[in-house]
Amino acid sequence: MNGSNALNDLTDRLGLDSRAWLRWAVPVVLIVFLYIVPQLGGNGSFRMGEYEEVLSFLVIAVALNIAMGYGGQYILGITAVFAVGAYGAILAAKYHPHGIGLVAMCIIGGAGGAVGGLIIGLPALRVGGFYLALVSLFAALAIPTVAQQWGFVGADTGIPLYAVNGFAPEISGEELYFIVVSLVLLATLFSWALVHSRVGHRFVALHTSQQLATSIGIRSYRTQLSAILISSTMAGLAGGLYVYTQQFFAPGSSSVQFAVLLLAGMTIGGMGTITGPLIGSVIILGINQFFTSFQQYNGIVFGVLLLGFAVFLPDGLMARVTVLSARLGINAPRTRSLTSGPAGAAAGVAAVAAPSVPEPTPATAMTEKPAARLPAWPPILGASDSSPLVVKGAKRTFGGVTAVDDMDLTLTRGQIHGLIGSNGSGKTTLLNLISRFYSLDAGQIRIGSTRLDNQPAHAVARSGIARTFQSPKLMLRETALENVIPAVELRVRCTGAESILRLPRGVRTNRQAHDEALEILEALGLHHVIDQKATALPHGTRRLVEMARAIALRPSFVLLDEPAAGLSPVELEMVAEVCQNLARSGVGVLLIEHNVPMVLSIADTVTCLHQGKRLFQGTPAELRADTNVASVFLGVDEPLEASS
Amino acid sequence: MTLFLTALFAGLAVGSVYGLIALSYTVVFNSTAIFNVAQGDLMMAGVLVAYFCLDRWHLAQILTLLIIIAVVVSLSLVEERVAVRPFVKRPVVGLGWFIATLAFSLVIETVASIIYGQNPVVPIPSALGGGSVHVAGVHVANKFILAFATMIVILVALEVFYKRTWLGTAMRGVAEDREVAALRGIDALRISRLAFIIAGLVTGLAAFVVAPIVSADVTVGLTYGLKGFIALAVGGFGSLRGCVIGGLLLGVAEQMFDLYVSSNYEILAALILVLLVLAVRPSGLFGRTAVREV
Repeated sequence: MNGSNALNDLTDRLGLDSRAWLRWAVPVVLIVFLYIVPQLGGNGSFRMGEYEEVLSFLVIAVALNIAMGYGGQYILGITAVFAVGAYGAILAAKYHPHGIGLVAMCIIGGAGGAVGGLIIGLPALRVGGFYLALVSLFAALAIPTVAQQWGFVGADTGIPLYAVNGFAPEISGEELYFIVVSLVLLATLFSWALVHSRVGHRFVALHTSQQLATSIGIRSYRTQLSAILISSTMAGLAGGLYVYTQQFFAPGSSSVQFAVLLLAGMTIGGMGTITGPLIGSVIILGINQFFTSFQQYNGIVFGVLLLGFAVFLPDGLMARVTVLSARLGINAPRTRSLTSGPAGAAAGVAAVAAPSVPEPTPATAMTEKPAARLPAWPPILGASDSSPLVVKGAKRTFGGVTAVDDMDLTLTRGQIHGLIGSNGSGKTTLLNLISRFYSLDAGQIRIGSTRLDNQPAHAVARSGIARTFQSPKLMLRETALENVIPAVELRVRCTGAESILRLPRGVRTNRQAHDEALEILEALGLHHVIDQKATALPHGTRRLVEMARAIALRPSFVLLDEPAAGLSPVELEMVAEVCQNLARSGVGVLLIEHNVPMVLSIADTVTCLHQGKRLFQGTPAELRADTNVASVFLGVDEPLEASS
Repeated sequence: MTLFLTALFAGLAVGSVYGLIALSYTVVFNSTAIFNVAQGDLMMAGVLVAYFCLDRWHLAQILTLLIIIAVVVSLSLVEERVAVRPFVKRPVVGLGWFIATLAFSLVIETVASIIYGQNPVVPIPSALGGGSVHVAGVHVANKFILAFATMIVILVALEVFYKRTWLGTAMRGVAEDREVAALRGIDALRISRLAFIIAGLVTGLAAFVVAPIVSADVTVGLTYGLKGFIALAVGGFGSLRGCVIGGLLLGVAEQMFDLYVSSNYEILAALILVLLVLAVRPSGLFGRTAVREV
């Protein structure tokens, strides 16, 4: 065993090349700092109580960041949920002072928070968007107002736990402080694990675009609800932690103003980053807690800061730091590469070379097609039913315009069906009808005996029908690889909890999703962009990444909406080859294109639409010979062949 | 029966406050696709101006009305410039505008509480005096009738404006599709400014008629702002009539809750109402479709 080799291997794994140690140094310094705060700032019991108060608030900030920063769910009135958890925990302690400790109070708080989150989230999510923000803010206003009048929860004066006979906290002083800091770090670690799990991937997909998420089978209502549920459970737990450390809860302990403070901290630090909300909240809550003489004017300072950040720096301070550290080479891309097959080998070289380059080279359009033959992608989703997809008498109107009228179409597995026609002839509408992004006015769509037209869009995707969009929909802040992974995760069975907590099956499926996504991207010749953010990719590459995402579902049918638009000749050839390969693998392909020569060269059947109606259906050879099509599109009375 | 009728009329009056705020939300949203969270605090600012003009300086009612409108419209324009226009210019992604308008609302509220200080809540005299009218056997205060009548007048005026005038149509069109509107020569920025002027007018008028009902109190902005939203959610998003019906329904529901359940927990009436409506009929009573973009 060679010692220096082993050492190199270790430093490689830890990412300890050149300046990468900075990645570790900063958090380590911060964590050490958190633990020694009492030594620096005084450790009297009053001070300790104040630290612990801020630390409990940090747990709420982490919770809010999960829902809002990653899930895109603006549960701004999270203080309502916090109050429910806190009241639950403190009431339990008041009435059972002997049997309740820190753990029990956190669990009760978490359960209370979850219930609160559900009561707000279930109805508010049916509309979504800012409705959730306002309904939850109203709850944050209502709960203290109700508590003020309610004797059971101590009314205006609240519940002082320290005055309850028999309640003696087992943990106190520095020991308690250590535990509270550790809990904050644990919550942060959990949020990191969640973000880098299949659950987090779904959150980001849905946050980016509901259509994108639906097209890869993500159930939006359920996903949004789980974001709210996770976040409210954590906020409720923070409530339990708060009452244990403060031994007190009153209507004034949670308010709308407090919710706005949390929002300010999060926005300033950087929503959707792991550490940003913590740093921002420490700044804001610190100002609020320790500069009390100035408190009357705090609202102006925070308001102006919040406004400034929302307008000029919506990603917050941490996003700046990330950009800066990427520029300094602190965040080196680290993606494992496959080394199977010729394409994989080539990619391996590229990936090994990548970390030594501080800044990723700008992506360019594909200039050279990968030499290897594409691997087979036999259907996995919906593979059990090999019947064709049949559209019968489909009709859809928008206002007074009939976009698709009395349309019949059959997609056979293993064949390419070209769909051509001028702009506005109803091609994309038809695609949207099949994928259930639109609902039918009349007619039906089915595979075998299974009706598709009465199912929601995500169910259609789950039954094996993948699609792309006319203008590619990608998660622009994610890498090409991260854009494909959620599609693989849909069909690799594993629960969200296993994936977050890295249980054995979770670890296995997380890795499998990563590897399969990589494999598909490499097969499409995209190994040079896997680590690049989608926003940096040129248009043609984005199309191919989107296609990779559709393939990653391993569908029985693929609906491609103008996949060749704006592509370079090499990329065009790639798209044609992918279509043919999919068909060879047994997938039914619907190809909407304006590039008629390409369609005619690869399609088995061609349908031509004109003003929402079917003008022609047949083989490419028959289309060339058809006089009707030629007269409509070219105004000549001879077939296409003769006129061209 | 008398108790019931008294509660009903009080509910209609308070409901008119909610309805008026909901109308201002809708005017802004219809043209900018932005929900202006600060609308409640803009009205609160108007109420405070009414307090200073009438209670402190003893100005005439009509002069007070003009000053309120001037102040509220100016504040709306400032808000449009600093918190809204940056988001009208760029494609709307996420809810950044929500945070921006919330931040503006926070600034107004803080400034107002500094100016108003720790003064106690003071009643403000109504333009129609302290008298009342006899309706169905109960006394209905003049200020209640004024608020209700003002809301109906504003509703009719807005409906006529949106349906009958070119500008009104243009203002609705911008929110539906900014690009198409631009192709027709409609400037989204001008429309956005205009929407804030109209919403400022509505809010200013509302503040004037509402001041005697809500009294001078810095915290009313947030509460009434949120209840205005609930009126909107209950009535149905985007519908002017929905705003009015939703507001009245909420106001009456609160008074009935007071009368038959408990006046201590009045705020629960609104919370329960909005959660129920969203659960049963998410688009509200008069709403066309959900707000969600597909």
